[in-house]
Amino acid sequence: MPGETKDGMPCLEFDALLTEALDGTLGGERLERFQAHARACSACGPLFAEIDAGRRLLKSITEVEPPAHLAYNILAATSGLDTVRMHAPMAQPQVSWLDRVRARIAPALTPVFAVVRQPRFAMSFGMAFFSVSMVLNLAGVKVSDLRHVDLHPSAMVRGYHMTSGKVVKYYENIRFVYQIESKVREIKRATTPAEPAPQKDQPRKDNSNTSEQPDQRQERNYSQGENQPVLASTPDVPPVAPVTATGRFV
Amino acid sequence: MAGDAAAWEEIVRRYHRRIYNICYRFAGSGDDAQDLTQDVFIKMYKTLDTYDVERGAFMTWVTTITRNLLVDHFRKSKHARMTDSLDAAPSEHDGAMPLSERIQDKGMPPDAQVQSRETGEAVHLALQKLSPELREAVILRDLQDMDYKEIATVLRVPEGTVKSRINRGRAELARLLQRTYRQVV
Repeated sequence: MPGETKDGMPCLEFDALLTEALDGTLGGERLERFQAHARACSACGPLFAEIDAGRRLLKSITEVEPPAHLAYNILAATSGLDTVRMHAPMAQPQVSWLDRVRARIAPALTPVFAVVRQPRFAMSFGMAFFSVSMVLNLAGVKVSDLRHVDLHPSAMVRGYHMTSGKVVKYYENIRFVYQIESKVREIKRATTPAEPAPQKDQPRKDNSNTSEQPDQRQERNYSQGENQPVLASTPDVPPVAPVTATGRFV
Repeated sequence: MAGDAAAWEEIVRRYHRRIYNICYRFAGSGDDAQDLTQDVFIKMYKTLDTYDVERGAFMTWVTTITRNLLVDHFRKSKHARMTDSLDAAPSEHDGAMPLSERIQDKGMPPDAQVQSRETGEAVHLALQKLSPELREAVILRDLQDMDYKEIATVLRVPEGTVKSRINRGRAELARLLQRTYRQVV
Protein backbone atom coordinates (compact mmCIF):
# COMPACT_ATOMS: atom_id res chain seq x y z
CA MET A 1 0.00 0.00 0.00
CA PRO A 2 1.45 3.37 -0.92
CA GLY A 3 2.16 5.50 2.06
CA GLU A 4 1.38 8.92 0.70
CA THR A 5 0.33 10.64 -2.50
CA LYS A 6 1.09 14.02 -3.92
CA ASP A 7 -1.79 15.70 -2.13
CA GLY A 8 -0.30 14.64 1.16
CA MET A 9 -3.01 12.24 2.36
CA PRO A 10 -1.70 8.98 3.72
CA CYS A 11 -3.65 5.79 3.07
CA LEU A 12 -4.37 5.42 6.78
CA GLU A 13 -6.13 8.79 6.80
CA PHE A 14 -8.01 7.82 3.67
CA ASP A 15 -9.10 4.64 5.44
CA ALA A 16 -10.30 6.60 8.45
CA LEU A 17 -12.33 8.93 6.24
CA LEU A 18 -13.93 6.12 4.26
CA THR A 19 -17.00 5.85 6.43
CA GLU A 20 -17.63 9.58 6.50
CA ALA A 21 -17.20 9.80 2.75
CA LEU A 22 -19.63 6.98 2.16
CA ASP A 23 -22.15 8.41 4.60
CA GLY A 24 -21.92 11.76 2.82
CA THR A 25 -20.73 13.63 5.88
CA LEU A 26 -17.35 14.48 4.43
CA GLY A 27 -17.08 17.88 2.79
CA GLY A 28 -14.91 20.76 1.80
CA GLU A 29 -11.20 20.44 1.36
CA ARG A 30 -11.09 17.04 3.07
CA LEU A 31 -13.49 15.60 0.53
CA GLU A 32 -11.40 16.96 -2.34
CA ARG A 33 -8.24 15.46 -0.87
CA PHE A 34 -10.07 12.20 -0.30
CA GLN A 35 -11.27 12.04 -3.90
CA ALA A 36 -7.85 12.96 -5.20
CA HIS A 37 -6.30 10.16 -3.19
CA ALA A 38 -8.90 7.70 -4.45
CA ARG A 39 -8.07 8.61 -8.03
CA ALA A 40 -4.33 8.46 -7.55
CA CYS A 41 -3.87 5.49 -5.21
CA SER A 42 -3.96 2.09 -6.92
CA ALA A 43 -4.97 0.34 -3.68
CA CYS A 44 -7.34 2.78 -2.04
CA GLY A 45 -9.28 3.72 -5.19
CA PRO A 46 -10.50 0.19 -6.01
CA LEU A 47 -11.10 -0.48 -2.33
CA PHE A 48 -13.34 2.57 -2.09
CA ALA A 49 -15.18 1.47 -5.24
CA GLU A 50 -15.77 -2.01 -3.81
CA ILE A 51 -17.04 -0.72 -0.49
CA ASP A 52 -19.34 1.73 -2.24
CA ALA A 53 -20.65 -1.04 -4.52
CA GLY A 54 -21.25 -3.32 -1.53
CA ARG A 55 -23.10 -0.58 0.30
CA ARG A 56 -25.29 0.11 -2.71
CA LEU A 57 -26.06 -3.57 -3.13
CA LEU A 58 -27.02 -3.93 0.51
CA LYS A 59 -29.21 -0.85 0.28
CA SER A 60 -30.92 -2.30 -2.77
CA ILE A 61 -32.39 -5.29 -0.99
CA THR A 62 -35.78 -4.70 0.49
CA GLU A 63 -37.32 -5.59 3.79
CA VAL A 64 -39.12 -8.92 3.85
CA GLU A 65 -42.60 -9.37 5.22
CA PRO A 66 -42.82 -11.82 8.11
CA PRO A 67 -45.45 -14.56 7.95
CA ALA A 68 -48.88 -13.34 8.99
CA HIS A 69 -49.18 -15.83 11.83
CA LEU A 70 -45.83 -14.98 13.39
CA ALA A 71 -47.13 -12.28 15.73
CA TYR A 72 -49.98 -14.55 16.86
CA ASN A 73 -47.55 -17.40 17.45
CA ILE A 74 -45.32 -15.15 19.50
CA LEU A 75 -48.23 -13.93 21.60
CA ALA A 76 -49.46 -17.46 22.09
CA ALA A 77 -45.97 -18.65 23.07
CA THR A 78 -45.37 -15.82 25.51
CA SER A 79 -48.52 -14.44 27.10
CA GLY A 80 -50.69 -17.32 25.97
CA LEU A 81 -53.11 -14.99 24.25
CA ASP A 82 -53.92 -14.78 20.59
CA THR A 83 -54.61 -11.07 20.61
CA VAL A 84 -55.63 -9.09 23.59
CA ARG A 85 -57.56 -6.43 21.73
CA MET A 86 -59.41 -8.65 19.37
CA HIS A 87 -60.29 -11.48 21.66
CA ALA A 88 -60.26 -10.00 25.13
CA PRO A 89 -64.02 -9.42 25.38
CA MET A 90 -64.70 -12.91 24.22
CA ALA A 91 -65.06 -15.46 26.97
CA GLN A 92 -63.17 -18.70 26.78
CA PRO A 93 -65.29 -21.15 24.82
CA GLN A 94 -66.80 -23.81 27.01
CA VAL A 95 -66.07 -27.33 25.99
CA SER A 96 -69.18 -29.45 25.92
CA TRP A 97 -69.29 -33.04 27.17
CA LEU A 98 -69.77 -34.20 23.59
CA ASP A 99 -66.54 -32.51 22.54
CA ARG A 100 -64.76 -34.03 25.49
CA VAL A 101 -66.00 -37.51 24.56
CA ARG A 102 -64.99 -36.86 20.98
CA ALA A 103 -61.51 -35.82 22.08
CA ARG A 104 -61.16 -39.02 24.07
CA ILE A 105 -62.27 -41.42 21.40
CA ALA A 106 -60.60 -39.54 18.57
CA PRO A 107 -57.23 -41.34 18.97
CA ALA A 108 -58.98 -44.71 18.79
CA LEU A 109 -61.11 -43.78 15.81
CA THR A 110 -58.39 -42.10 13.82
CA PRO A 111 -57.04 -45.38 12.30
CA VAL A 112 -60.60 -46.44 11.49
CA PHE A 113 -61.29 -43.16 9.73
CA ALA A 114 -58.02 -43.55 7.87
CA VAL A 115 -59.31 -46.84 6.46
CA VAL A 116 -62.76 -45.44 5.76
CA ARG A 117 -61.30 -42.55 3.79
CA GLN A 118 -59.61 -44.94 1.35
CA PRO A 119 -61.21 -45.15 -2.10
CA ARG A 120 -61.25 -48.94 -1.87
CA PHE A 121 -63.50 -48.81 1.18
CA ALA A 122 -65.79 -46.29 -0.47
CA MET A 123 -66.06 -48.57 -3.51
CA SER A 124 -66.92 -51.60 -1.35
CA PHE A 125 -69.45 -49.58 0.61
CA GLY A 126 -71.04 -48.37 -2.58
CA MET A 127 -71.31 -51.88 -3.97
CA ALA A 128 -72.83 -53.15 -0.73
CA PHE A 129 -75.35 -50.33 -0.70
CA PHE A 130 -76.23 -51.04 -4.30
CA SER A 131 -76.70 -54.73 -3.55
CA VAL A 132 -78.90 -54.09 -0.52
CA SER A 133 -81.05 -51.60 -2.38
CA MET A 134 -81.43 -54.02 -5.29
CA VAL A 135 -82.49 -56.85 -2.96
CA LEU A 136 -84.98 -54.55 -1.23
CA ASN A 137 -86.41 -53.52 -4.59
CA LEU A 138 -86.77 -57.12 -5.67
CA ALA A 139 -88.40 -57.99 -2.36
CA GLY A 140 -90.83 -55.13 -2.81
CA VAL A 141 -89.67 -53.25 0.25
CA LYS A 142 -89.83 -49.51 -0.01
CA VAL A 143 -87.53 -47.45 2.16
CA SER A 144 -90.19 -44.77 2.49
CA ASP A 145 -92.45 -47.34 4.19
CA LEU A 146 -89.89 -47.92 6.89
CA ARG A 147 -90.53 -44.45 8.25
CA HIS A 148 -93.98 -45.56 9.30
CA VAL A 149 -92.73 -48.57 11.19
CA ASP A 150 -93.54 -48.33 14.87
CA LEU A 151 -90.32 -48.97 16.76
CA HIS A 152 -91.78 -49.03 20.25
CA PRO A 153 -90.83 -52.18 22.19
CA SER A 154 -94.43 -53.27 22.67
CA ALA A 155 -95.17 -52.77 18.97
CA MET A 156 -92.06 -54.70 18.03
CA VAL A 157 -93.11 -57.63 20.29
CA ARG A 158 -96.57 -57.55 18.78
CA GLY A 159 -95.09 -57.54 15.31
CA TYR A 160 -92.89 -60.48 16.20
CA HIS A 161 -95.85 -62.53 17.45
CA MET A 162 -97.96 -61.64 14.43
CA THR A 163 -95.20 -62.62 12.05
CA SER A 164 -94.51 -65.92 13.84
CA GLY A 165 -98.28 -66.62 13.88
CA LYS A 166 -98.45 -66.07 10.13
CA VAL A 167 -95.53 -68.42 9.58
CA VAL A 168 -97.11 -71.14 11.74
CA LYS A 169 -100.43 -70.71 10.01
CA TYR A 170 -98.80 -70.95 6.60
CA TYR A 171 -96.96 -74.07 7.66
CA GLU A 172 -100.15 -75.65 8.98
CA ASN A 173 -101.98 -74.88 5.75
CA ILE A 174 -99.21 -76.39 3.66
CA ARG A 175 -99.24 -79.50 5.82
CA PHE A 176 -103.00 -79.82 5.47
CA VAL A 177 -102.73 -79.51 1.67
CA TYR A 178 -100.03 -82.19 1.56
CA GLN A 179 -102.14 -84.48 3.76
CA ILE A 180 -105.15 -84.05 1.43
CA GLU A 181 -102.97 -84.74 -1.61
CA SER A 182 -101.52 -87.89 -0.08
CA LYS A 183 -105.04 -89.11 0.85
CA VAL A 184 -106.29 -88.48 -2.70
CA ARG A 185 -103.26 -90.38 -4.06
CA GLU A 186 -104.00 -93.31 -1.77
CA ILE A 187 -107.67 -93.37 -2.83
CA LYS A 188 -106.68 -93.30 -6.50
CA ARG A 189 -104.25 -96.14 -6.01
CA ALA A 190 -106.89 -98.14 -4.16
CA THR A 191 -109.60 -97.61 -6.82
CA THR A 192 -107.35 -98.25 -9.89
CA PRO A 193 -107.46 -101.96 -11.02
CA ALA A 194 -104.19 -103.87 -11.23
CA GLU A 195 -102.58 -103.89 -14.70
CA PRO A 196 -102.48 -107.21 -16.53
CA ALA A 197 -99.11 -108.92 -16.69
CA PRO A 198 -97.38 -108.79 -20.08
CA GLN A 199 -97.83 -111.85 -22.31
CA LYS A 200 -94.55 -113.77 -22.53
CA ASP A 201 -95.31 -115.87 -25.60
CA GLN A 202 -96.70 -113.08 -27.83
CA PRO A 203 -95.23 -113.42 -31.37
CA ARG A 204 -93.21 -110.65 -32.89
CA LYS A 205 -94.86 -108.49 -35.50
CA ASP A 206 -91.89 -108.39 -37.86
CA ASN A 207 -89.52 -111.31 -37.66
CA SER A 208 -87.46 -110.05 -40.53
CA ASN A 209 -86.16 -107.11 -38.44
CA THR A 210 -83.29 -108.64 -36.57
CA SER A 211 -81.45 -105.44 -35.72
CA GLU A 212 -83.69 -104.74 -32.68
CA GLN A 213 -82.84 -101.11 -33.02
CA PRO A 214 -86.27 -99.68 -32.06
CA ASP A 215 -86.29 -101.59 -28.81
CA GLN A 216 -82.84 -100.38 -27.95
CA ARG A 217 -83.87 -96.83 -28.68
CA GLN A 218 -86.91 -97.22 -26.46
CA GLU A 219 -84.75 -98.45 -23.60
CA ARG A 220 -82.36 -95.58 -24.11
CA ASN A 221 -85.21 -93.06 -23.90
CA TYR A 222 -86.53 -94.62 -20.71
CA SER A 223 -83.12 -94.35 -19.13
CA GLN A 224 -83.01 -90.63 -19.83
CA GLY A 225 -84.19 -88.15 -17.28
CA GLU A 226 -86.80 -85.55 -17.82
CA ASN A 227 -84.37 -82.75 -18.42
CA GLN A 228 -81.93 -84.67 -20.47
CA PRO A 229 -81.78 -83.83 -24.18
CA VAL A 230 -83.60 -85.90 -26.66
CA LEU A 231 -81.65 -86.51 -29.82
CA ALA A 232 -83.83 -86.08 -32.84
CA SER A 233 -81.92 -88.55 -34.85
CA THR A 234 -82.79 -90.98 -37.53
CA PRO A 235 -80.75 -93.97 -38.60
CA ASP A 236 -79.85 -92.29 -41.92
CA VAL A 237 -79.44 -88.63 -40.94
CA PRO A 238 -76.83 -87.61 -38.37
CA PRO A 239 -78.08 -85.46 -35.44
CA VAL A 240 -77.96 -81.69 -36.10
CA ALA A 241 -78.42 -80.18 -32.66
CA PRO A 242 -79.41 -81.50 -29.26
CA VAL A 243 -82.83 -80.46 -28.07
CA THR A 244 -84.18 -80.67 -24.53
CA ALA A 245 -87.47 -82.19 -23.55
CA THR A 246 -88.98 -78.74 -23.53
CA GLY A 247 -87.89 -78.12 -27.06
CA ARG A 248 -85.03 -75.73 -26.26
CA PHE A 249 -81.79 -75.99 -28.14
CA VAL A 250 -78.76 -76.66 -26.00
CA MET B 1 -45.05 -4.45 32.51
CA ALA B 2 -44.97 -8.20 32.13
CA GLY B 3 -48.48 -8.33 33.37
CA ASP B 4 -49.71 -5.77 30.92
CA ALA B 5 -50.91 -7.90 28.07
CA ALA B 6 -51.88 -4.96 25.86
CA ALA B 7 -48.46 -3.36 26.20
CA TRP B 8 -46.79 -6.64 25.43
CA GLU B 9 -48.92 -7.08 22.36
CA GLU B 10 -47.92 -3.61 21.23
CA ILE B 11 -44.26 -4.50 21.63
CA VAL B 12 -44.71 -7.67 19.60
CA ARG B 13 -46.57 -5.82 16.86
CA ARG B 14 -44.02 -3.03 16.68
CA TYR B 15 -40.82 -5.05 16.73
CA HIS B 16 -41.53 -8.46 15.27
CA ARG B 17 -41.00 -7.34 11.68
CA ARG B 18 -37.66 -5.75 12.43
CA ILE B 19 -36.42 -8.70 14.48
CA TYR B 20 -37.63 -11.13 11.86
CA ASN B 21 -35.70 -9.26 9.18
CA ILE B 22 -32.49 -9.26 11.21
CA CYS B 23 -32.87 -12.99 11.85
CA TYR B 24 -33.72 -13.72 8.24
CA ARG B 25 -30.75 -11.83 6.86
CA PHE B 26 -28.41 -13.35 9.39
CA ALA B 27 -29.65 -16.95 9.39
CA GLY B 28 -30.59 -16.97 5.70
CA SER B 29 -33.65 -19.15 6.13
CA GLY B 30 -37.26 -18.16 6.63
CA ASP B 31 -37.97 -21.11 8.94
CA ASP B 32 -34.94 -20.39 11.10
CA ALA B 33 -35.90 -16.72 11.16
CA GLN B 34 -39.38 -17.58 12.46
CA ASP B 35 -38.00 -19.81 15.21
CA LEU B 36 -35.35 -17.31 16.17
CA THR B 37 -37.80 -14.41 16.25
CA GLN B 38 -40.06 -16.40 18.52
CA ASP B 39 -37.10 -17.25 20.77
CA VAL B 40 -36.13 -13.60 20.94
CA PHE B 41 -39.59 -12.61 22.12
CA ILE B 42 -39.74 -15.44 24.63
CA LYS B 43 -36.44 -14.29 26.08
CA MET B 44 -37.63 -10.68 26.05
CA TYR B 45 -40.84 -11.66 27.82
CA LYS B 46 -38.91 -13.44 30.54
CA THR B 47 -36.36 -10.65 31.04
CA LEU B 48 -38.50 -7.58 30.55
CA ASP B 49 -38.06 -6.59 34.17
CA THR B 50 -34.27 -6.44 33.72
CA TYR B 51 -34.47 -3.72 31.09
CA ASP B 52 -32.99 -0.48 32.36
CA VAL B 53 -34.03 2.68 30.53
CA GLU B 54 -30.88 4.52 31.60
CA ARG B 55 -28.60 1.96 30.02
CA GLY B 56 -29.88 2.52 26.52
CA ALA B 57 -32.80 2.62 24.16
CA PHE B 58 -35.30 -0.19 24.15
CA MET B 59 -34.51 -0.86 20.50
CA THR B 60 -30.84 -1.32 21.34
CA TRP B 61 -31.75 -3.72 24.13
CA VAL B 62 -34.01 -5.73 21.83
CA THR B 63 -31.34 -5.84 19.13
CA THR B 64 -28.75 -6.97 21.66
CA ILE B 65 -30.96 -9.90 22.70
CA THR B 66 -31.51 -10.73 19.03
CA ARG B 67 -27.82 -10.58 18.22
CA ASN B 68 -26.88 -12.78 21.21
CA LEU B 69 -29.41 -15.41 20.17
CA LEU B 70 -28.18 -15.27 16.59
CA VAL B 71 -24.61 -15.82 17.73
CA ASP B 72 -25.74 -18.79 19.84
CA HIS B 73 -27.65 -20.15 16.89
CA PHE B 74 -24.63 -19.69 14.65
CA ARG B 75 -22.41 -21.60 17.07
CA LYS B 76 -24.90 -24.43 17.42
CA SER B 77 -25.45 -24.79 13.71
CA LYS B 78 -21.81 -24.28 12.76
CA HIS B 79 -21.18 -27.92 11.96
CA ALA B 80 -24.44 -28.49 10.21
CA ARG B 81 -24.22 -25.40 8.07
CA MET B 82 -24.66 -25.83 4.41
CA THR B 83 -21.81 -24.97 2.09
CA ASP B 84 -23.80 -24.30 -1.01
CA SER B 85 -22.52 -21.89 -3.58
CA LEU B 86 -24.00 -18.63 -4.65
CA ASP B 87 -25.28 -20.39 -7.73
CA ALA B 88 -27.43 -22.66 -5.62
CA ALA B 89 -31.19 -22.53 -5.40
CA PRO B 90 -32.71 -19.11 -4.80
CA SER B 91 -33.84 -17.93 -1.45
CA GLU B 92 -36.11 -20.38 0.32
CA HIS B 93 -38.04 -17.59 1.92
CA ASP B 94 -41.48 -18.63 0.78
CA GLY B 95 -43.67 -16.77 3.21
CA ALA B 96 -41.71 -13.57 3.15
CA MET B 97 -42.28 -11.53 0.05
CA PRO B 98 -40.34 -8.31 -0.35
CA LEU B 99 -42.40 -5.25 0.28
CA SER B 100 -41.50 -3.95 -3.15
CA GLU B 101 -43.31 -6.93 -4.65
CA ARG B 102 -46.27 -6.68 -2.36
CA ILE B 103 -46.74 -3.08 -3.37
CA GLN B 104 -46.39 -3.25 -7.12
CA ASP B 105 -44.26 -0.49 -8.55
CA LYS B 106 -46.11 0.31 -11.74
CA GLY B 107 -43.41 2.69 -12.88
CA MET B 108 -40.85 -0.13 -12.87
CA PRO B 109 -40.84 -2.29 -15.99
CA PRO B 110 -41.22 -6.07 -15.44
CA ASP B 111 -37.67 -6.79 -16.57
CA ALA B 112 -36.30 -4.36 -14.05
CA GLN B 113 -38.46 -5.92 -11.32
CA VAL B 114 -37.14 -9.38 -12.14
CA GLN B 115 -33.59 -8.09 -12.21
CA SER B 116 -34.08 -6.31 -8.91
CA ARG B 117 -35.45 -9.49 -7.32
CA GLU B 118 -32.59 -11.56 -8.67
CA THR B 119 -30.08 -9.03 -7.38
CA GLY B 120 -31.75 -9.10 -3.99
CA GLU B 121 -31.53 -12.88 -3.84
CA ALA B 122 -27.89 -12.83 -4.93
CA VAL B 123 -27.05 -10.28 -2.26
CA HIS B 124 -28.92 -12.32 0.34
CA LEU B 125 -26.96 -15.44 -0.58
CA ALA B 126 -23.69 -13.52 -0.64
CA LEU B 127 -24.48 -12.20 2.81
CA GLN B 128 -24.50 -15.75 4.14
CA LYS B 129 -20.94 -16.18 2.90
CA LEU B 130 -19.61 -13.39 5.06
CA SER B 131 -18.14 -14.14 8.44
CA PRO B 132 -20.69 -13.60 11.25
CA GLU B 133 -18.79 -10.58 12.57
CA LEU B 134 -18.90 -8.77 9.23
CA ARG B 135 -22.43 -9.98 8.50
CA GLU B 136 -23.96 -8.67 11.69
CA ALA B 137 -22.20 -5.35 11.27
CA VAL B 138 -23.47 -4.70 7.74
CA ILE B 139 -26.97 -5.96 8.59
CA LEU B 140 -27.29 -3.57 11.48
CA ARG B 141 -25.85 -0.65 9.55
CA ASP B 142 -27.08 -1.02 5.99
CA LEU B 143 -30.30 -2.96 6.50
CA GLN B 144 -31.44 -1.72 9.89
CA ASP B 145 -29.99 1.82 9.64
CA MET B 146 -28.60 1.78 13.14
CA ASP B 147 -25.95 4.34 14.00
CA TYR B 148 -22.39 3.34 14.85
CA LYS B 149 -22.79 4.02 18.53
CA GLU B 150 -25.82 1.74 18.82
CA ILE B 151 -24.08 -0.95 16.83
CA ALA B 152 -21.03 -0.64 19.06
CA THR B 153 -23.28 -1.11 22.10
CA VAL B 154 -24.99 -4.15 20.61
CA LEU B 155 -21.78 -5.80 19.44
CA ARG B 156 -19.81 -4.66 22.49
CA VAL B 157 -16.88 -3.43 20.40
CA PRO B 158 -15.45 0.08 19.84
CA GLU B 159 -16.95 2.29 17.16
CA GLY B 160 -13.75 2.15 15.13
CA THR B 161 -14.02 -1.62 15.00
CA VAL B 162 -17.65 -1.31 13.94
CA LYS B 163 -16.75 1.00 11.06
CA SER B 164 -13.90 -1.23 9.99
CA ARG B 165 -16.12 -4.31 10.03
CA ILE B 166 -18.83 -2.57 8.07
CA ASN B 167 -16.43 -1.47 5.35
CA ARG B 168 -14.74 -4.86 5.19
CA GLY B 169 -18.12 -6.52 5.00
CA ARG B 170 -19.27 -4.30 2.16
CA ALA B 171 -16.06 -4.83 0.21
CA GLU B 172 -16.16 -8.58 0.73
CA LEU B 173 -19.77 -8.72 -0.39
CA ALA B 174 -19.01 -6.76 -3.55
CA ARG B 175 -16.09 -9.06 -4.33
CA LEU B 176 -18.24 -12.16 -3.81
CA LEU B 177 -20.94 -10.89 -6.13
CA GLN B 178 -18.40 -9.72 -8.69
CA ARG B 179 -16.87 -13.20 -8.68
CA THR B 180 -20.26 -14.80 -9.09
CA TYR B 181 -21.31 -12.61 -11.99
CA ARG B 182 -17.94 -13.13 -13.63
CA GLN B 183 -18.47 -16.90 -13.41
CA VAL B 184 -21.92 -16.56 -14.89
CA VAL B 185 -20.66 -14.39 -17.76
